[in-house]
Amino acid sequence: MRRATIAWTRSLLALAVLALVVGACAEATPGNQVPNFFPAPAITDQGQASESLYAIVFWIATAIFILVEGLIIFAVFRYRRHKGDDELPAQTHGSMPFELAWTIVPFIIVVALFVLSENTQQKVDASTPNPPLTVDVTGFQWQWTFDYTAQGLSFTGQGTDGPTMVLPVGEDVHFRLHSNDVIHSFYVPGFFFKRDVVPGRTNEFDLTLDQTGTYTGQCAEFCGLGHADMRFTVQAVSPADFTAWVAKAQEAAKATPSPLPSGAQSLTLSASNTTAFDESTLTATAGQPFAVVFTNKEAAGGPPHDFAIKDPAGRSNLLFTGQPLAQAGQTVTYSVPALAAGTYTFICIVHPNMTGTLTVK
Amino acid sequence: MATTVLPRATTYSRSRVYEWLTTTDHKKIGIMYVASSYLFMCLGGLLALGIRTQLAVPNDTLIPNALYNQLFTMHGTTMIFFFVMPMLAGFANYAMPLMIGAADMAFPRINALSFWIIPVSGLLLFSGFAFGGAASAGWTSYSPLAEAKYSGIGQDLWILALLLNGMSSILGAINMLVTIFKLRAPGMTMLRLPIFVWTVLVTAVLLVFAVPVLASGLVMLFIDRNYGGSFFDPAAGGDAILWQNVFWFFGHPEVYIMILPAFGIISEVLPVFSRKPLFGYKAFVLATVSIGVLGFGVWAHHMFATGAVYLPFFSAATFLISVPTGVKMFNWVATMWRGKLRFTTSMLFAVGFLISFLIGGLDGAFAASTPVDFDITDTYWVVSHLHYVLFGGSAMAIMAGTYYWFPKMVGRMLDERLGKVHFTLMFVGLQLTFFPMHLLGLAGMPRRIAEYAPTVWQPLNVVATIGAFTIAASMLPFLWNMFTALRRPADAPDDPWDANTLEWATSSPPPPYNFERLPEVRSERPLFDLKHPELRKPATAAAVVVNPGSGH
Repeated sequence: MRRATIAWTRSLLALAVLALVVGACAEATPGNQVPNFFPAPAITDQGQASESLYAIVFWIATAIFILVEGLIIFAVFRYRRHKGDDELPAQTHGSMPFELAWTIVPFIIVVALFVLSENTQQKVDASTPNPPLTVDVTGFQWQWTFDYTAQGLSFTGQGTDGPTMVLPVGEDVHFRLHSNDVIHSFYVPGFFFKRDVVPGRTNEFDLTLDQTGTYTGQCAEFCGLGHADMRFTVQAVSPADFTAWVAKAQEAAKATPSPLPSGAQSLTLSASNTTAFDESTLTATAGQPFAVVFTNKEAAGGPPHDFAIKDPAGRSNLLFTGQPLAQAGQTVTYSVPALAAGTYTFICIVHPNMTGTLTVK
Repeated sequence: MATTVLPRATTYSRSRVYEWLTTTDHKKIGIMYVASSYLFMCLGGLLALGIRTQLAVPNDTLIPNALYNQLFTMHGTTMIFFFVMPMLAGFANYAMPLMIGAADMAFPRINALSFWIIPVSGLLLFSGFAFGGAASAGWTSYSPLAEAKYSGIGQDLWILALLLNGMSSILGAINMLVTIFKLRAPGMTMLRLPIFVWTVLVTAVLLVFAVPVLASGLVMLFIDRNYGGSFFDPAAGGDAILWQNVFWFFGHPEVYIMILPAFGIISEVLPVFSRKPLFGYKAFVLATVSIGVLGFGVWAHHMFATGAVYLPFFSAATFLISVPTGVKMFNWVATMWRGKLRFTTSMLFAVGFLISFLIGGLDGAFAASTPVDFDITDTYWVVSHLHYVLFGGSAMAIMAGTYYWFPKMVGRMLDERLGKVHFTLMFVGLQLTFFPMHLLGLAGMPRRIAEYAPTVWQPLNVVATIGAFTIAASMLPFLWNMFTALRRPADAPDDPWDANTLEWATSSPPPPYNFERLPEVRSERPLFDLKHPELRKPATAAAVVVNPGSGH
């Protein structure tokens, strides 16, 4: 009877271990990995150090899990009362040696884990004095702006895919996180790292990427209606590709939009909060380019807004996106190309819940 | 034999409704606490089903974002402040005075007030749905999101409801402390208190220290929102992290407030159904007290990713608190060891607690390792962890306690077959719902998102949704079981489980004055001593006594 129980428990444990190993071997690519017991391999030096720590904690926790669950299941099957057995079992009140053992051994384990964790922590928090590249990340309800101040580049996300951050591999990148409204969190699963974007404080850290590719990130601190839409993309490229990308992006930023023909129609639109535009309907003439004079009436320090037109055919494609964003207190004139007659939805790309109807006839 | 004979209280007939509305009897108040908590559990559960339905499909637009945010905010707030806390307060209210041989709580009318505040504050909280939207900034209400610029009137109702709820907790806690210190029966020394009473005692101390801190934060947030204060909004010169420090200084002891009495319930149920005393009573008391003390030094582990925390201190304290918790786990297993286990529904839930809570506890080692926490915090991994502690831990213990004390409370036995259906569905549902969330979090799924794009996240989300509906289904046999039991004539004997503590030494249900006579109290198992005089400890023996003739 007892032997059978042990065999049964053993096979159960073997199954559990097998499941874990299968999980560990499942193919994993950062950004789109099939969920399993391990995170996707990190693409930063810091993330790799943290993932080694994760593996150590995981295997220790798994060993304790198997031991204790095994004891529980063993006790449940081995010590069940048999029908008609009314005799009292031995009334054991305790055992000092055992109780000392299961106080001291866990204590040693957690002290060891703490030391390991602190060592990894030092590596993750290390920073270089003069990082070759600094990126300023600004989170706001509900988009991201990535500023490469030294390169004169700025990218603000549009729609639900957000902006793309291009980074060179093999170089230290210095990040500075800013917010002017609520708390957000800059989270890239491929970095095995996140840091909160806190208004009133600038969080800074360094990361070194060592693998090219495209990785997704998104806001991890709940920030209101559009929280789930605060996504962005990280594109890791070789240093040479990065230099080429910077030059190209600087060129593109200089290009000016074509001027509007004189006498074109001009529509007025404004926004004073993040829930809705001040005007819910606009009317334009079909087949003629027109201008939208857009005023952001938010108080200083408030969020940016803009004007974009959704493609009636697609769920989230945009026919037109106003650039640049209107910062709080700013008025921007957007030149909109000619549209076919019909009913369109206009939105604020920063706040996809702000919509209105544009009738073209 | 020293027995205490209490005078018989005079009774006169009144309407039963009036009787319940005006009662100061700790047993009736305890039952009302439990009943109202189950009502709120069902409400909170329905909110959770809304969340799980939305997440079953990627890019789902079934529930608008604004409503989704209300669902998870109200789910968390309801389950914590209106289900788990009052439920445990209800068990404490019902069982603790009986267990220490008292006739009632020390302040019966304050006790009634503590209870009646709960439904009033619950109504206030849920009235948000009628006034343009309930609170939607998460149960943690992080500032500045919870400030007037970003959140509507539901947030004010949330603040007021929690202030009231906190008042109930503080009044209740003081009442418990005075009762335990002043109303113990003759012979009931501190080291003969049933472990459940010890956990209630430590929990009451935690409440008295932690809840006023939350109240101070709530008042500051209310001033910020309504009178132009600037405590928490950096745009007005405040500090966003200050709210988190204040909130979690309450919020982490709160976790122990919700789990310690659950430990207590398990520590009553396991010995009774193993027919052995609790293994290591004194170590257990010591572990409970040290968890209570250390529980105040770990709050900032909720804030590792803010960049505003001195990491080594809070990491070390968090690792350390797992030691006393581990001691308890081993003591429970040792209690079952070489026992004669009777698998009543209550015992099944207790074993379900051990199996599930272990996972929630081991998760703690990951969260305490700061570099690992940077990745997993604010993902579904955390949602999994907290539910293994609060559902796998607190809720499973609450179920064990319900099946254990129901016969005493209403004098009727619950049906064991329906109970086992309930346990099976709930245990399976719990694992299906919450285990996959570990993996989703590791794959990068953040918590509190109303929709997700990666289709690789869908299968496990579907599993979790199926699990959530399984849990909901498990409640049906349970509620039916209670309903039919209450319609049957009273059938429960005084001591149906062959138990150890004083509440089973009186009738089921007990008379208004609790005891006609009290057995002698010579150990933490007075009723066991009464039933087994041959095994009674000699008066001079140490706490560790092994039955003569049996090896360890």
